[in-house]
Amino acid sequence: MRFWQKTYIFTLILFLVCLNCGIMSLAVYTYRQNVEATEATVTAEQYYIARSFERDYIDLTNSGGNTSPTLLMQSYGSHYKDKGIFFAFEKDGKTLYSNFTQSCSVNDNTLVHKKLDGKRYVFISSGLCDGEYRFVFAKNVERLDEEFYSLMLVYSLTALAVSAFLAVCLFFILKRLSVPLDKLRDATRRIEGGDFSVTVEEKGKDEFSLLAKSFNSMLHKINEQVTALETDSEKKQMLVDNMAHELRTPLTSIQGYAEYLEKAAVTEENRILAAKYIISESARLKKISDILLDTAYIRGNTVETSPVCVSALLNDTVERLNTKAQKCGVTLLTASDDSVVDGDATLLSMLFCNLTDNAIKACRDGGIVELCCTDKTVTVKDNGKGMTPEQLSHITEPFYRTDRSRSRAEGGAGLGLALCKQIVASHNAFISFESRFGEGTEITVSFTS
Amino acid sequence: MAKILIVEDEKSINNLIKLNLELVGHTCLQAFDGNTAQEIFKNGKFDLVILDVMLPGVSGFDLITDLKDIPAIFVTAKGGLEDRLRGLRAGADDYIVKPFEILELVARVDAVIRRTKAVSNSFEFDDIRVDFDCKRVYKGGEEVLLKPKEYDLLEALIRNRNLALTREKLLNIVWDFAYEGDSRTVDVHIQKLRKKLSLEDRLKTVYKTGYRLEV
Repeated sequence: MRFWQKTYIFTLILFLVCLNCGIMSLAVYTYRQNVEATEATVTAEQYYIARSFERDYIDLTNSGGNTSPTLLMQSYGSHYKDKGIFFAFEKDGKTLYSNFTQSCSVNDNTLVHKKLDGKRYVFISSGLCDGEYRFVFAKNVERLDEEFYSLMLVYSLTALAVSAFLAVCLFFILKRLSVPLDKLRDATRRIEGGDFSVTVEEKGKDEFSLLAKSFNSMLHKINEQVTALETDSEKKQMLVDNMAHELRTPLTSIQGYAEYLEKAAVTEENRILAAKYIISESARLKKISDILLDTAYIRGNTVETSPVCVSALLNDTVERLNTKAQKCGVTLLTASDDSVVDGDATLLSMLFCNLTDNAIKACRDGGIVELCCTDKTVTVKDNGKGMTPEQLSHITEPFYRTDRSRSRAEGGAGLGLALCKQIVASHNAFISFESRFGEGTEITVSFTS
Repeated sequence: MAKILIVEDEKSINNLIKLNLELVGHTCLQAFDGNTAQEIFKNGKFDLVILDVMLPGVSGFDLITDLKDIPAIFVTAKGGLEDRLRGLRAGADDYIVKPFEILELVARVDAVIRRTKAVSNSFEFDDIRVDFDCKRVYKGGEEVLLKPKEYDLLEALIRNRNLALTREKLLNIVWDFAYEGDSRTVDVHIQKLRKKLSLEDRLKTVYKTGYRLEV
């Protein structure tokens, strides 16, 4: 059973019990009041009639008429009978007069309720004329019961009407109040089905809206996590695809040309071509495996550091790459202060060579590559072709190339910047890239020690 | 034979495919990126396209939609089941995963061409004509009677002409995998072929490798 249904049933039962108890006790109280009032009236009437009878009897006796009290009683009896009042008149236990249909005995001065012929009477008796006679008085109080029953009828009808009204109102109110819960449940069902784009309405300030709010924020968190996981796995898949491509391409060439040499009747020219391809593709494989091993080694081992003079490193880099730069028509410039950083000279040299090599490749004929060092911060700046923000966001991913065919032709493996990133990380340094398409690129490496 | 367009950005592999397909008698055109390939699609006519998936410019999956009736074979490093299915669903007639063997490439190209092109199903060299449909061999206009295995051997050598086939490979192709005969069987049949068709100059023994039909 649903929560709102439970609430509905229990509230309704509780209300009905309270209402009916209240009405019942009210009815009983009213009835008691009525009974007491009636009893008081009866006592008063009996007293009044008894005194008036005594007075009449004395008057009659004094006037000298030998009037039997029974006759007087008879006239009284017929007079009061229409008003629902009955008498009995006794002397020494013998009934002198009675208009009761049946006899009944009552103690003196006590109110007694009795039923005669299915009708309700209040009896009271008392002595009369100094105890000479006994006077029994009874009054029809049927009215009391009738009033009680009609009262009960009115009360019951009212209670029924109120209950019905309440039942209907309560039903709709509770159903309406439980709507946010239903919405929440729908949302959880949709999430169960894998739809994480759901949001729950946050209306008002009650507990449900608070719940909806925290539910939404939870959902938001989950969404973020799921997206992050998806991006992560996509990246990994990309890496695997790229890796497969990079390794299989040279392997295919090597295997293919070797087979070709073995199986075909080759001309001298084609034999040399095949051998050349086998050699160059093996070199490419070697380069990839070297870089991968270097990266793995740097990641797996702590770098042994010693103070290294940056300006010497930069000059060394320029010396190494000058020939290549001149071939491409690129000028290399250095400007360095005497910063000294803690690091592995071989790795740092590898880092600067890679960055400078990339810069040279990006330049056209007549380009300029500047290597600067100020206060433990090295910048490599070129005025080459630059990169788009989209390209910039991928450049440190392994096997990513901004220009695939050209990079391959130049023997690049697409791993240079991934290696650089690893070297920088192992030195607790930071690397940042800034580039404008068509204007050039600036790479900044900041050392902390 | 067939005219084939090779679309592969890796120069070494492009040349490799070209060299091998030319050995077995096909003519080849080369494209090194997607855009050039699209240009060639518009102008040229060919019987088959060999496509790499990861191409600069336009990817292989996009290129294949431009080819309507021309059969295509994907040659790619992506060897996962998902990728194969995607390639075949995109409309490729076959899917070869790198690295591949030359004989496999030749056989698959041959199969696709045979399936899609109404070529004259015969091969002629010198005064010899081999009719693949009727499995008959004529020399100087006269039919030469060959035993079934001898004919199968000749067909295998022709289909992989100019390529050396090892005795094991020939056993695999002509006899079948289950055959437990030794490689001497191959030598005996080769001798008979040479004799019946006087192929001493064409059907060469390749040192330490096997046999090659040089045409």
